[in-house]
Amino acid sequence: MLWKPHHLIRKRTSFDFLGKRKIALLLSTVINLAALVGVFVFGLNFGIDFEGGIALQVRAKQGEVHLDDLRSTLGNLGVGEVSLQAFGDNRTALIRVQRQEGDARCVAHADNVMKRRAGQGWSVKQGPSDTGDVVFGAPGGLDAAGWREAVSQVGLTIQERQLPRANTNTARIDMSVEQRAEWCQQVAIKLVEDTISGQYELRGTEAVGPKVGEELMHSGIWAVVATLGAIAVYVWVRFEWQFGVGALIALLHDVLSTVGIFVLFRLDFSLTALAALLTIAGYSINDTVVIFDRVRENMRRYKKMGLIELLNFSINETLARTIMTAGTVFVAVLALVLFGGPVLYSFSIAMLWGVIVGTYSSIWIASAALVYMKLRPEQLRPKDEDEAAKAKA
Amino acid sequence: MLNLPRWQVIAIVVVTALAGLFALPNALPGSLLNHLPGWYTQSRINLGLDLRGGAYFLLEADLRGVLNERLANLSDSVRGELRKQQIGFKDVTVQSGAAVTVVLREEAERAKAIEAMRTIDPSLAVSGQGDTLRLAFSEQELLRKKKEVIDQSIEILRRRVDETGTIEPTIVRQGDERIELQVPGIKDTTDLKRKLNQTAKLTFHLVNEDVAQTGQNLPTNLPPTTFLVPTREGMQALRASNPKAYEDIQSANPRLTPEQVCRRYQPQCLPVFKRVVVGGEDLDDAKSTFESQQGGRPIISFTFNTAGGRAFCNATRQNIGKRLAIQLDGEIISAPVVQSAICGGSGIITGQFTTQQTQEQALLLRSGALPATLTIIEERTVGADLGADAIHAGTVAALVGTALVILFMLFVYGPIFGGFASIAMMVNMLLVFAGMSLLGASLTLPGIAGLVLTVGMSVDSNVLIYERVREERENGRSPFSALATGYDRALTAVIDSNLTALIAGVLLFGMGSGPIKGFATSLTLGLLTHLFTATVFTRMLLAVWVRWRRPTELPV
Repeated sequence: MLWKPHHLIRKRTSFDFLGKRKIALLLSTVINLAALVGVFVFGLNFGIDFEGGIALQVRAKQGEVHLDDLRSTLGNLGVGEVSLQAFGDNRTALIRVQRQEGDARCVAHADNVMKRRAGQGWSVKQGPSDTGDVVFGAPGGLDAAGWREAVSQVGLTIQERQLPRANTNTARIDMSVEQRAEWCQQVAIKLVEDTISGQYELRGTEAVGPKVGEELMHSGIWAVVATLGAIAVYVWVRFEWQFGVGALIALLHDVLSTVGIFVLFRLDFSLTALAALLTIAGYSINDTVVIFDRVRENMRRYKKMGLIELLNFSINETLARTIMTAGTVFVAVLALVLFGGPVLYSFSIAMLWGVIVGTYSSIWIASAALVYMKLRPEQLRPKDEDEAAKAKA
Repeated sequence: MLNLPRWQVIAIVVVTALAGLFALPNALPGSLLNHLPGWYTQSRINLGLDLRGGAYFLLEADLRGVLNERLANLSDSVRGELRKQQIGFKDVTVQSGAAVTVVLREEAERAKAIEAMRTIDPSLAVSGQGDTLRLAFSEQELLRKKKEVIDQSIEILRRRVDETGTIEPTIVRQGDERIELQVPGIKDTTDLKRKLNQTAKLTFHLVNEDVAQTGQNLPTNLPPTTFLVPTREGMQALRASNPKAYEDIQSANPRLTPEQVCRRYQPQCLPVFKRVVVGGEDLDDAKSTFESQQGGRPIISFTFNTAGGRAFCNATRQNIGKRLAIQLDGEIISAPVVQSAICGGSGIITGQFTTQQTQEQALLLRSGALPATLTIIEERTVGADLGADAIHAGTVAALVGTALVILFMLFVYGPIFGGFASIAMMVNMLLVFAGMSLLGASLTLPGIAGLVLTVGMSVDSNVLIYERVREERENGRSPFSALATGYDRALTAVIDSNLTALIAGVLLFGMGSGPIKGFATSLTLGLLTHLFTATVFTRMLLAVWVRWRRPTELPV
């Protein structure tokens, strides 16, 4: 079977791809509108990367994970919204807790954790309300080293200056409101950890403070916009502006519909999801450029051919390649979906969709856009020098 | 296209062989690596924390707090200086995060007051009108301090996290005010946070010159007020001559006292009084500068807070001509001779120093306390077993993905052309591994995903070329001509499609943090190396094959 080549497509095909462009346009509009509505109505299932908060991966010490039990235990903890999902096998779960604000509730949690970890004599209270200060109370006098040890129990990292010098049983740790909010993520981890440590072992934890979450969100949006923009400009420079516009619309289409997939399947929208979006953009444009390259070549060769006919001709010519490449990337991504494990699951599912939509959009969005922009052969630049040289070879 | 000069073939083979050579250490067993030279085995791909387990922290330094502290100190000095020069003032206030404002009693004394301010710190920016002076640190000074705070924090973190020198944490600056800390192999971060809160112990002691005069390194009968402390040079000499002993000292549990270290291992030691003259917590700042006269030798200048300054003043006044030992974590880092009473709250240490030495010493002096509060703003930990699961999943996915792609290519293009594509793809992988080794990049789970994607996408160029060759063949060209034309015509599409995809990769790399960086690295490298395998390497395979077999028909 492998000792001789097989042609996936026996003969040169002559499908009328762009004759179906109205149907495709309708389909794409529906899908993208649905995605857009979905984002606003149901919202994205943001991971902690963008919203801040904590995530813990836990494994049941014995038997299976009981999500309902976990949900009711953690729901009553007073840490805000908790979301749970099975992760990989039925012994493992991912617990996600919303971002903690640096409010009185958090200080009460710290008090709770401190009493459990260091002893009943301990207390944690809020300082003056206009500051983020926290006041620690110890059952007996402690020196600086003792204080350092004690505050580590609730995940607090401090500067020597913040500690009392002499032996004392109260210490006011000064911090800003923002610093306290960051610290509160640590408190929440300890609290959840303490609550479930009887039945579950911790396999990994993540905490993203409010500041980082916000920044990652901004830089994420910026990265998507910059990528699409840069690609469109590149295509414009290498081809014509019509090609650049076509590519840009196709990319927007791919990105938005992939976001729709995240809404539809409630997939975790985290940094890896963002990576998937950019990779899909990269794959999709790769596919589009191959068709555009052929369109340009044929336009120079067959100056009399009608635009739709020419586009169909070019798409058919490159069809075998399109199917081949989509196929190889698809099987590679399929391996990721099947064997890549739970961490890569959202990413792989998104990529699988990306391969399909990227291929589709090259034909029915990017190329169809050229029809609506009424591209004509005389709008093409004369051949570049490098291409002239190439023709000689 | 099919006439490839010999030198090009040689160059391609050399590049590929070099890539193999650089990727090789990753595959060799540890026992063999130990016998190879360090420069060669050093460049290996590190496993990311998500694969080998460990903790990642992003820490933010509270630079505003540092500035306010400095402004408060400045306002103290300003009051003192104005009193000393008998310039009347109504008020000295600190504007948080900005400046110190002085309101003078007499506007006429303004010039004199400005002169006085210059004596405190010549680099101060003085503005304001009439009876009001506004004192701010210059832009340059602020930048210097910022950098210093972060550098110093990194140094201190290193000391604290890696007491024993076996943990190998990665500590790097992130932007202006952040530090990224990666500690492989730990799961319980409570212990690590305890270490972050640990402080180095810096104390000043007078040297017991009576004992020191005897010239014995290990005097037999010490007075009870005195103990022995090893010097830093002594410990470094010990480390060089007897690394085993040094390691024993560092890993001893419970820790050995300085006296025990001196008695057991006999490094160079100094007898010092047990009484602490002043502690490191009272030291505000220490920096490396130059003497204003006498040829500008490098010196170390330091500043105490009020309490520290007073204690230091008394001690130095009574002990002129004697040595004052500075002990840091059980080692004497320096023992300068007291030249005169030091009472202004600040002093200098002179000696035959190089600039590098004074910088080191200043850093050590400052390494008692963290210069700024470090807040954890992002934390990710991965247990080792979770990492092992990830490695397993990633490896299986990568192998299955690669096998499927190869089968696909062999099925469609047959053993010869499909084989060429597979070889080119594997050489591409080799290049990626070599590149990652040379860069010392980390391989993360998303990084493996990037590699799998690269496998799928990197055969695309071969597909483009082969399909074009098939077309040209159908158009009636001879095998040779079809191969040459097909290759040439496919080339623009190959280059354009890769460069556009590369844009996404590069931007991903630019925004990436942590695991995403790993993904971007492998994907971007894959696209870059792919340009080589697609344009040059594949061409060589085809050219060599054609010259060798002289085919009458193309098995594609």
